[in-house]
Amino acid sequence: MASHAALAHHFESLEKQTQAQRLGMWLFLASEILLFTALFAAYGVYRYLYAGAFAEASRGLETWMGGVNTFVLVTSSLTVALGLDAARQGRTRRTATLFFLSIGMGLVFMGLKAVEYRHHVLHGELPGRFYTAGHIAGSGGSLFFALYFLITGLHAVHVVVGMTVLGVIGVKSWRGAYSAEYHTPVELAGLYWHLVDLIWIFVFPLIYLI
Amino acid sequence: MSPRPASSAPVFAERNYLNTPATGLRSWLTTRDHKRIGVMFLVAALIAFAIGGFFALLIRLELLTPGPTIMDAMSYNRIFTLHGVVMIFLFMIPAIPSGFGNFLVPIMVGAKDVAFPRLNLLSFYLYLLGAVIALAGMVYGGADTGWTFYTPYSTTTPTKVVPILLGAFILGFSSILTGLNFIVTTHTLRAPGITWNKLPLFVWSIYATSVIQILATPVLGMTLLLVAIEHAFGWGIFDPARGGDPVLFQHFFWFYSHPAVYIMILPAMAVMSEVVCAFSRKNIFGYKAVAYSSLGIAFVGFFTWGHHLFTSGQSPYNAGVFGVLSMFVGIFTAIKVFNWVATMYRGSISFTTPFIYFVGFLFFLFFGGMTGVALATVSLDIHWQDTYFVVAHFHFIMVGSTMMAFLAALHYWWPKITGRMYNERWGLVAAVFVILGFVFTFLPQFLLGNEGMPRRYYSYPERYWALNVASTAGASVLALGFMIVLAYILVALKHGAVAGADPWGSRGYEWLTASPPPLENFDELPAFERGPHEYHDLPAASPQAPPGAARGASHG
Amino acid sequence: MSAHHAAHGPTVHSHVGRYLLVWGGLMILTAVTWGLSSFHLPGGAGVAVALTIASVKGGLVALFFMHLYDQPGPNRLVLLTSLVFVALLVLLTLLDNATRFPLANPPDAETAPQRIRDAILNEARPAPVH
Repeated sequence: MASHAALAHHFESLEKQTQAQRLGMWLFLASEILLFTALFAAYGVYRYLYAGAFAEASRGLETWMGGVNTFVLVTSSLTVALGLDAARQGRTRRTATLFFLSIGMGLVFMGLKAVEYRHHVLHGELPGRFYTAGHIAGSGGSLFFALYFLITGLHAVHVVVGMTVLGVIGVKSWRGAYSAEYHTPVELAGLYWHLVDLIWIFVFPLIYLI
Repeated sequence: MSPRPASSAPVFAERNYLNTPATGLRSWLTTRDHKRIGVMFLVAALIAFAIGGFFALLIRLELLTPGPTIMDAMSYNRIFTLHGVVMIFLFMIPAIPSGFGNFLVPIMVGAKDVAFPRLNLLSFYLYLLGAVIALAGMVYGGADTGWTFYTPYSTTTPTKVVPILLGAFILGFSSILTGLNFIVTTHTLRAPGITWNKLPLFVWSIYATSVIQILATPVLGMTLLLVAIEHAFGWGIFDPARGGDPVLFQHFFWFYSHPAVYIMILPAMAVMSEVVCAFSRKNIFGYKAVAYSSLGIAFVGFFTWGHHLFTSGQSPYNAGVFGVLSMFVGIFTAIKVFNWVATMYRGSISFTTPFIYFVGFLFFLFFGGMTGVALATVSLDIHWQDTYFVVAHFHFIMVGSTMMAFLAALHYWWPKITGRMYNERWGLVAAVFVILGFVFTFLPQFLLGNEGMPRRYYSYPERYWALNVASTAGASVLALGFMIVLAYILVALKHGAVAGADPWGSRGYEWLTASPPPLENFDELPAFERGPHEYHDLPAASPQAPPGAARGASHG
Repeated sequence: MSAHHAAHGPTVHSHVGRYLLVWGGLMILTAVTWGLSSFHLPGGAGVAVALTIASVKGGLVALFFMHLYDQPGPNRLVLLTSLVFVALLVLLTLLDNATRFPLANPPDAETAPQRIRDAILNEARPAPVH
């Protein structure tokens, strides 16, 4: 049975092991949150110093794309949560399907971001010394786009990692590696994906809705 | 466990983690045994210490004369940068937690291993990878920015700063994973009988260290990555010519690097709590105070980073806030010092090598800590900032305290890790060299700094000459002391007397198992009825044979 | 299987309804924050409103999608502690720039007096370092 094989020798019970894996995942998520923090702090400082420029730069973004992406990610979180729910009921093929659906939405997200990035490249809205757009006075424009690419870029990296994790766990779930008694990897994969969504929930208003 | 009668000879555990499940390089490189991983970390850290120490000797040689001695200014900048990077990221941060912590924490909580053994091995390989990348940068000339990588120089320097930044970034993840493992282990793998209030104090401090590692290290990682990106691609957010604020880097850098010094000192304090009880043969005075003060240091340490920016251009308002907050962290250290001293009072002291290093630790922690409080006073820091006063302060803590704690740990747990005792007389000799060498190296630096000698300068006015010579002389003695330790410790590997399960008569839980321990730590899990520092059932002032004497440990 | 291990048992009740409700709430709140942004509330108020809505959304995700609502204390403490330190770094760093003598901030920052900013913007820019 999957659950017996899953218990490591140094844990006294599967319940303890699951508790440990959850705590471990939350600690890892905490470190991921702190990874973004320096960028948010830089954003806070420079938005304060260049409030007008940031607002103007933000108005130049395609807000509807950011909004659609938010709807997409939130819905992908729903499908992941439903996937875990299915796993708890032992319906692991359903879990896989839902996870693949979430990956699909992740791809939509990345697609929209790619379109946006292309737009910025074409208009010279690039970070640091590559900023040539010029319609914003002072350094605010170049700083906005430096932070824009750093924050959304780091987030995109996490989206890709999240999709990979969902993919691996999805495939294993399809092949019957999990059951109602043991599906902790499904839960952990879900936690990572929800974090990706959680971060975007804050990124969207801070970048697009100034 | 009652003291072993002198007649029963100590036993070297034949089947132990060193030969189970297999010997040979491959079994070590693919191990999931926390004890082997701990040993590998210790070996790697000691090699790093030798490299960093070599750079330190080069620095002191250069400073023997006021003008250029053996190198030019650019080389000097690279050497002190590498000294800092190697010592801090490759030795001070990982040595005690990833070395001794890995070996001891599972045993001390009565577990078979850490919560995530494969993650533990990954942590070791990330350490190696980060070290290799950073040292590769050294081969290409290294950086000349100082280990603090201040912008805008670090983003514009022509030297090869990117490999070192990337190496440090990867090392950060090693640190995070180790911390994660220890926290989960402490929460979920404690044996029945080991409640939070019976947790060995070593574990409490390592737990607090782990909290800092998880919360602070990612910020450093991102910050160094930002510098690397700005250096390589020009995506400037610290570039003043593009509206950036270079002081912002300093905020981010010190948000990690101040708690980092607590990552360095908390494990040292962890060791000292164990050593003071074992060699005073007495319960710790104020268990809860010592345990919770570790968490206090970890928490409050995060609120103080701005005291590194007093003269950098942050607002005077912020300087005031950070100045006040910085004072609070000293309270928790004071609690520990008081409790350790109170533990010794009316104890039965054995003046063994670990205990000598404990005394050194205590003395130098006091002076290093007090000078820290002095430096945290804004008005005083205006005079001392970027002088040798600061250098002396942090070396008092890092070498005088943490390094001495490391040596205490090495000697205290050597018998547990290797099953053999070292030569106690040589231990004493080396300790004298180390302590005296230390004093002569760093005490003059307080005076130099107060008289205005700046740090990171390779030449200086003649009036600083005498003290610099004294400092270099001290450094030679210190280096000799370390080499003596290395010599007799390696000899002890092969020729040391067999130690047995508990050569010190210590009550720590790790001494309840054989030396070296078996693969799964305990052949038979003890009941853990007694606390880990409980000696009160011993008759008061009984004529105890000095620990080690009955073990046949060679004294000469 | 013992009763309190219901989450692992084969007859566990499903939380689909709860997830759909949360999803609905998240979609509505997203629309709300999007809509409110068109009012362009002045400076600090706009950020405060946006962050408050984002925090509510984040709370919903953490509590229900990530199951902190039905899990023991340590996991919640981990998340809360990390958020405390996020706030610490952001706020104390911001406090620095916000309380500096205006000319100690980057020269063309919008917090400097207007005449000084005009002078800087109108004169030749210093050669960038790259």
